[in-house]
Amino acid sequence: MAVWLTVAAASIARAVLCLFRAVHTAQSRRRARLESRAIRGIILLREWLSPQQRQQLDSYKYFEVIGCDSGNKYRIQHGISTNVVELDCEGQPHVGWCFVPEGNLVPGDVMLAQKIALETDERGALAIARQFLVPPPLPARSALRPAPMQSAEVPEASR
Amino acid sequence: MATQIIMDHSGDTRHHFDANNAKALAEAERRFKALTGAGFTAATRQASGDVSLVRSFDPNAEETVFYPRLVGG
Repeated sequence: MAVWLTVAAASIARAVLCLFRAVHTAQSRRRARLESRAIRGIILLREWLSPQQRQQLDSYKYFEVIGCDSGNKYRIQHGISTNVVELDCEGQPHVGWCFVPEGNLVPGDVMLAQKIALETDERGALAIARQFLVPPPLPARSALRPAPMQSAEVPEASR
Repeated sequence: MATQIIMDHSGDTRHHFDANNAKALAEAERRFKALTGAGFTAATRQASGDVSLVRSFDPNAEETVFYPRLVGG
């Protein structure tokens, strides 16, 4: 009886192990497929960027484009939604524009479609886009630090 | 070789064709019309890096990219 139970338990353990390995392999393959799609998208995007935009993308994970109609500057950040912001005259983000190509596209493809749309048909792109608020830029670190006390303000007793 | 690049769920699909081959050119034109008719936008890239939209099939375009219709997010 004990031998039977041991054999059965071993078989079940082997089956569970096989199942676990199969799930793990399927997950790894899926992850690799998704990564491969994303890489293809970035390669295509890089092929279509100007040298300056390519440099920005490499350094900051975003690049800037000039709208063909208004001459305004837009920043396209890495992403697939709410990733386009219009910059003000000081280069600060002041309003966001959300527009994306239909379908389940990878970030590189989405960013390239947004670039082409703004550079060739800015009005058309903004007409269908949804605006979103952009958080105000954080104050500079130096502005957050308390001002150093003047020596004249230090109480006599603490010296 | 000229190339038509279609953005899709796999990243992109590329069709290479010889612009001097009448049959291949006709197939490329048919693909162009089918895609733009389905709402895709076609754009070409100049050697300078400038991008322009194309409304009708250009047999001299070296590289044309097609992206699906844009929608508000």
